Amino acid sequence: MVQYYEPQRDYGTPAASGGEAVALQIDGIDIEVPAGTSVMRAAALAGVKVPKLCASDSLEAFGSCRVCLVEIAGRRGYPASCTTPVEPGMQVQTQTPALAKLRRGVMELYISDHPLDCLTCPTNGDCELQDTAGEVGLRAVRYGFAGANHLEAEKDQSNPYFTFDPAKCIVCSRCVRACEEVQGTFALTIEGRGFDSRVSVGATDFLGSDCVSCGACVNACPTATLTENSIIEQGIPEHTAITTCAYCGVGCGFRAELRGNTVVRMTPWKDGRANEGHACVKGRFAFGYATHPDRITTPMVRDSIEQPWREVSWDEALQFAARRFREIQERHGRNSIGAISSSRCTNEEVYLVQKLVRAGFGNNNIDTCARVCHSPTGFGLKTTLGESAGTQAFTSVDSADVIMVIGANPTEAHPVFGSRLKRRLREGARLIVIDPREIELVDAPHIRADYHLPVNPGANVAVLNAMAHVIATEALHDAGFIAQRCDRESFASWLEFVSAEHNAPEALAAATGVDPESLRAAARLYASGGNAAIYYGLGVTEHSQGSTAVMAIANLAMLTGNIGREGVGVNPMRGQNNVQGSCDMGSFPHELPGYRHLSDAATRGQFEAAWQVQLDPEPGMRIPNMFDAALDGQFRGLYCQGEDVAQSDPNTQHIEAALSALECLVVQDIFLNETAKFAHVFLPGASFLEKDGTFTNAERRISRVRKVMPPLSGKADWEVTQAFAAALGCDMDYAHPSQIMDEIASLTPTFSGVSYALLDEKGSLQWPCNESAPEGTPTMHRDEFVRGKGYFAITDFVATDERANRRFPLLLTTGRILSQYNVGAQTRRTDNSAWHSEDTLEIHPHDAQERGVSEGDWVGIQSRVGNTVLRATLTTRVKPGVVYTTFHHPVSGANVVTTDNSDWATNCPEYKVTAVQVSRVSAPSAWQARQQQFDRKQRDLLERARTDA
Amino acid sequence: MSGQQIDHLVKMANQIALNFGEQRDLSRAAQCTAEHLEKFWTRAMREQLSAYADAGGEDLSPAVRLVFAGQSDTQGSQRP
Ligand code: SF4
Ligand code: SF4
Ligand code: SF4
Ligand code: FES
Repeated sequence: MVQYYEPQRDYGTPAASGGEAVALQIDGIDIEVPAGTSVMRAAALAGVKVPKLCASDSLEAFGSCRVCLVEIAGRRGYPASCTTPVEPGMQVQTQTPALAKLRRGVMELYISDHPLDCLTCPTNGDCELQDTAGEVGLRAVRYGFAGANHLEAEKDQSNPYFTFDPAKCIVCSRCVRACEEVQGTFALTIEGRGFDSRVSVGATDFLGSDCVSCGACVNACPTATLTENSIIEQGIPEHTAITTCAYCGVGCGFRAELRGNTVVRMTPWKDGRANEGHACVKGRFAFGYATHPDRITTPMVRDSIEQPWREVSWDEALQFAARRFREIQERHGRNSIGAISSSRCTNEEVYLVQKLVRAGFGNNNIDTCARVCHSPTGFGLKTTLGESAGTQAFTSVDSADVIMVIGANPTEAHPVFGSRLKRRLREGARLIVIDPREIELVDAPHIRADYHLPVNPGANVAVLNAMAHVIATEALHDAGFIAQRCDRESFASWLEFVSAEHNAPEALAAATGVDPESLRAAARLYASGGNAAIYYGLGVTEHSQGSTAVMAIANLAMLTGNIGREGVGVNPMRGQNNVQGSCDMGSFPHELPGYRHLSDAATRGQFEAAWQVQLDPEPGMRIPNMFDAALDGQFRGLYCQGEDVAQSDPNTQHIEAALSALECLVVQDIFLNETAKFAHVFLPGASFLEKDGTFTNAERRISRVRKVMPPLSGKADWEVTQAFAAALGCDMDYAHPSQIMDEIASLTPTFSGVSYALLDEKGSLQWPCNESAPEGTPTMHRDEFVRGKGYFAITDFVATDERANRRFPLLLTTGRILSQYNVGAQTRRTDNSAWHSEDTLEIHPHDAQERGVSEGDWVGIQSRVGNTVLRATLTTRVKPGVVYTTFHHPVSGANVVTTDNSDWATNCPEYKVTAVQVSRVSAPSAWQARQQQFDRKQRDLLERARTDA
Repeated sequence: MSGQQIDHLVKMANQIALNFGEQRDLSRAAQCTAEHLEKFWTRAMREQLSAYADAGGEDLSPAVRLVFAGQSDTQGSQRP
């Protein structure tokens, strides 16, 4: 059913939480609302619209415009309904002749300094000022434009996505408050007083300011002052569909707003429970990649990577791939082929790929890109708590008293959750940051971390053990919780281990680089500051002891009883949109959907019965095993869906050699990515706007992805996998992704209650969703752990092999930036590059000086495995001895220097620690020169396919 | 089998044993390592490592050696 465009409903002021019910009457209508509700909101709930300009339900009431006046029986004057709370028995009138006159007078003043060019205004028909003028019955403006006005004020068009046209501003300050309250950036202020007051973005323009382009102000603006450029260029939308952001693991709900098949705006969905109406620059604005001219929409094949591509039909491409895969298996055995699926794809798609591998290839050589990010989370949380997932909903942070952020940078990598976190910190929650680098949260507007422990890269486990040591030896632990909820035997041996002197902060100081006194103080705060919640990211997992660190985090939470209720817990911040989902769907080589090991005969039996095949009970290859085996000639065919291993995986030269050794590489993607340059078959993928499905975010929330335009290539990705399976003789028969979800639900106990119908009804669901939790599970492990008793795993600190020495004296660590996403394939093809057009190397001024490096110099970064060249940025955000870069641009080759060291339990690569030397250079590295040459050649081979066709 | 792949397997196995507390409790670390290899490694990888152990296994750590000790006569049929 088509949803025609209309603005999302606005109740004027935020909902009041949980107060007692108050009964009142508005325009003769009886209504009951929670205490603390404004009269304006109560009226909206009663179906009565009070005119308003400065109020919005995403912001605290402000009471400046005076359009929302009402009359209340027994009260003098005309109170503003947005700032007046309801009282029992109140009798409110919203429409009287006196009110009408007052409102008209106010509107007249506003309009007298507002251009009357409604017919040609970009938001004509979608403007609150216009609507309100209509509502109050404004018919004439007596003052004219002859007096002083702002109509000539200059536009600010510096931001690539929106325009600021101050001539239209009514100084309601909604934008300023949105930037403060919703986003927490404080980029805007109202400057001047009275007639001179105006919105200011600081000294320069929007692009040069602190603004992070989240769009909250644009969303909040009731006029055309702040307007999306897409709306200015294309007009207001005519229909909408609710969908989910395809960038990060926050999983924001969006309303895709369209004209025909063209998305003209992505508006954060107010009912989206992960984001509640907020968004960031990626999800809100960076959707243009979906229709970028670089999209490849026709299947292509070639016999070798030296040849030009040949555009072919779907059928020919799939037959070509299937024939080669079967031939390889005939010659080299069943285990010589495999697949890698992507966390950017939907649950239904990754489920199908693992099914294709297990049922069609007849082996378990399926892995996912979560291998290189959060596989240690799966292992660590399964071992200690019994389920491979975060324990809380995002809203849980609203009741946290102490927040510990370790190896995560939420304001850059998970911005919408970052804003929520910042709000809680401004309300007074205490903050501990454990990170080698001074991330934004350490010192942000109105926020200061109580403790920043600048841990040496590679020493997380030592820091976490030392914290546990302090808590245990100072008897700050929650003995009652442990006795009741945790495994007694494992706790006893762990306690002995952690209390030993070698785990004291003082003993570990040389390894951690952290002042023992600050560490002790941070541990005391975590243990005794009230509800304490841990948020962690790839700075924890991407280490040789990633899994150990995850277990150490779970130990801390159990030790202090900070698990199993709101406000606490262990929260992995997932990188890509569907990392949680792709892990849930059985994308690891050792387990079936729902994290059940292949050796479990009963589970295997269910899948065998449903799929009508015999399954191999032996684990398959992980990604690094596939590459090693490829170099050895044992692994020769790979189907890679939506994943750019050539750019995202460590030790690029090793991976390029492995990919070049494959006999048949099938890549399914929307662009000719770095991996596709080594491919023999290219299957065009569909963007998230072109398919139906579901994503599961970091809080286990399953949300719908809805098709808003037909796939450019004619097929959605699940259809491609199904057709590939058919070509291999493995029949699948789904007419719609909802049927795939039904199969998942029928075979996975934690998903048994999930269906598209229920998702449509509830908006989203947090798994486990089954008979015992029919509406899903926001907080896990409430009464008991999924594994029964919580398990304290012993977490020996084992220093990584990757140590600094005389030759490689600095430790390189990596991270992300807000405006770019992962390997940048999408965001680099949007105007987000205005903020980050290249990766740079952050280096401490002291280290820079020693090497004669100045700001902006080209520097060579040499590790044991390779070298690359970047520009230097001098900053004290990193401490001496540590350098830092992002990995959003292929030419930077950050992974040319990362080694193939990996987590001991899961082989998650150790991206976060590489010993390097840095020196000033004048030319790109040899790898970069080769990469550029190879890139040019492959683009040329693609061009030839297009011109030949 | 290339040198590179076996080098990786040896390194990974040693790393697993060390993280299972090889230096605290050798036999328990060996037991946990054996279970871990069984659960997460392919049969081919286990067989390669086992063959390496049979051939002397000089770079294997003590706990990993223990995993493969006494398996040579049943090699192939019994998993580590
Ligand atoms: S776009 Fe976001 S960060 Fe920028 S001014 Fe508006 S609210 Fe503030
Ligand atoms: S820019 Fe918009 S939201 Fe901000 S003060 Fe002006 S009219 Fe209000
Ligand atoms: S926070 Fe993440 S999910 Fe939300 S809009 Fe930004 S990228 Fe998308
Ligand atoms: S809406 Fe109430 S004063 Fe502006």
